[in-house]
Amino acid sequence: MFSFKLGLKNLTRQKRRNILIILVIAFAFSSYLLMDSLMNGMEEMSFDNIKNYDTGNIQVVHPEYWEDREELLLENLIYLNQDMEESIKNTDGLLGVSSELRFKANLNNGIDEVAVRGVGISIEQYNQVFATQNYVVEGSMFAPGESKAVIGVSLAELMDLKVNDYITLLVRTKEDTFNTIDIEIAGLVRAPNPMINNGIVFVPLDVARQALNVGNAVSMITLKTVSGDEDTLTKELTDSFKNKNLDLKAYSWKESASSVIALSAAKKGGIGAILSVVLLIGMLGIINNVILSALERTEEIGMMKALGMREWEIVFVFMVEATGIGILGGLAGCLLGYAGVSALVKYGFSIAYIGGDGSAYGIPILDRIYGAWNYPAFSFLFILGIIIAVLSSILPSYWAAKKDPVKAIYHR
Amino acid sequence: MQKIKWFLLIGITVSILFSCLIMATAAEMTAEEIINKRDDNEYFDTTQMEAEMIIVSGGRKIIKAMFVLADKRNALVEFTNPVDRGTKFLKREDDLWMFFPDAEEIIKISGHMLNQGMMGSDFSYQDVMESDKLTDLYDFKIIEEEEFEGRPCYVLEGIAREGVKVSYYRRVAWIDKDRFIGLKEELYTQSGRLLKETKVNKIEEIEERWIPTNSVMENKLRKDTYTEFTITQIKFNLEIPEETFSLQNLR
Repeated sequence: MFSFKLGLKNLTRQKRRNILIILVIAFAFSSYLLMDSLMNGMEEMSFDNIKNYDTGNIQVVHPEYWEDREELLLENLIYLNQDMEESIKNTDGLLGVSSELRFKANLNNGIDEVAVRGVGISIEQYNQVFATQNYVVEGSMFAPGESKAVIGVSLAELMDLKVNDYITLLVRTKEDTFNTIDIEIAGLVRAPNPMINNGIVFVPLDVARQALNVGNAVSMITLKTVSGDEDTLTKELTDSFKNKNLDLKAYSWKESASSVIALSAAKKGGIGAILSVVLLIGMLGIINNVILSALERTEEIGMMKALGMREWEIVFVFMVEATGIGILGGLAGCLLGYAGVSALVKYGFSIAYIGGDGSAYGIPILDRIYGAWNYPAFSFLFILGIIIAVLSSILPSYWAAKKDPVKAIYHR
Repeated sequence: MQKIKWFLLIGITVSILFSCLIMATAAEMTAEEIINKRDDNEYFDTTQMEAEMIIVSGGRKIIKAMFVLADKRNALVEFTNPVDRGTKFLKREDDLWMFFPDAEEIIKISGHMLNQGMMGSDFSYQDVMESDKLTDLYDFKIIEEEEFEGRPCYVLEGIAREGVKVSYYRRVAWIDKDRFIGLKEELYTQSGRLLKETKVNKIEEIEERWIPTNSVMENKLRKDTYTEFTITQIKFNLEIPEETFSLQNLR
């Protein structure tokens, strides 16, 4: 008990130095928490932006189309029939079903041409699965039966287009013959997914089918489900297609987002490296503090040993002091982190600071990244901080405690 | 006097008969024969030429010079203007490669890249790749006979044959009746939109053949843009070593 009290008392003896170490630990811990929050926020937003604006929760496609899906070829398309529709309709837990025809096109404004992705959609179905309609900033999405187009704001700015302008989409039919879609712009969207803003033109499904000569074919059927149900439903759907001998397969959004997931895993590796640096800073601070204290108190240690204190009791004194610094540093770090993460969750971090939108870095996020709460990270870091403080104080404390009492008292 | 009248009458009769004979021969020609005759006239076994391409887009004008060696299926194009000097294209059958001297790398041009304009011109890579016989790809018919820039022409319409893969669904060509040279050609999309138009501005007789030495290609979807192609020197039926059209020779 005496050792414990002495350790606690020692905490207040070198106030300035201890406060400095506590601040260093707090700064390192809070930086880690902020970075962790930002990375988690970015991951959550990326995944939401993929699900809500590009893939839906599940995509049903021809397996060979899936392999080359980025090529947007008009091969291995799905020719809708009753069996397929029944297989999908009879699946429980679907919140929306949308058929899409994706194709390569050149958007022409009469002066310039730019390569875009054309997407033929049935607007009512599309709105059940995707959230794009909530981000129309000018005009509106086209109504059912209306032959109009919707494009992203950035694309419109690039091509100097506005609502009610006519555009020409130069496409290749299934037979590879040039064809054009002349269509009026109904609305401009600014969705959180940069791809929608930069390079997609939405047109009615029947207009796309006619221009591309594909009959009633679609590239894929996208499905909306409750988040978390994707894996079960994907398996259920694929089994159902297999039983009906349909050459179709269901893919979870995670398979489309594999590159973003890989990027996210790489970032987590980066976070791990930051955590190591943070812990190293804390460790060095504490080791440094214990050594300095031991050097300052060499005579005191000698005196304590001469009075009968055992080595482990002296080690314990230093460990209590180091643990105290670890606890205070961890607490301060968590408090600072809490304030920073609160601000990140509420106000976000503008991607403009790192230049442009996230698509330039392979992140499907526009404008701002918002932080996400990761409460276990707070307790994990706090506990880890204490453990590191205790462990890193053992060796220097033992070095101090081993001093010969006579030499220690007369060490000068 | 009587004799002169007699000669005049014979002369006129012979001329009328000769004209009728020519017209009858021409009238008997089918659209396919006319196209084939034009192709026979414009295409050759081997050729070597120096040419210039003037690309005008908006207010910008870029001049590119090139040296071309070609046979019926293959072609090697080397750019000689200072900016692009050393850039080469090799067309071998249905494949196209490009060599950039700066990168020292050979790139195969395929897929969506084939739709892009060659070196920024209005000729797409796909346009320069077309080497199949047009009559195999299109059903041609004569839709009109009219004068184009003072020359009597057949106006032929070609519609893509069912099941074949072609870039342009419909093409309309004005072919000089006497010289069997295409003077103008319009290329349409399936929806009937005029996509590209080529006009021949100058035709020269070289080695007893009529050759269009200056032509202009316009992309009708874009304003203020055209590409002018001028042949400055051309020679036919030269011996071209087989290895000329090899990837090794592209570097």
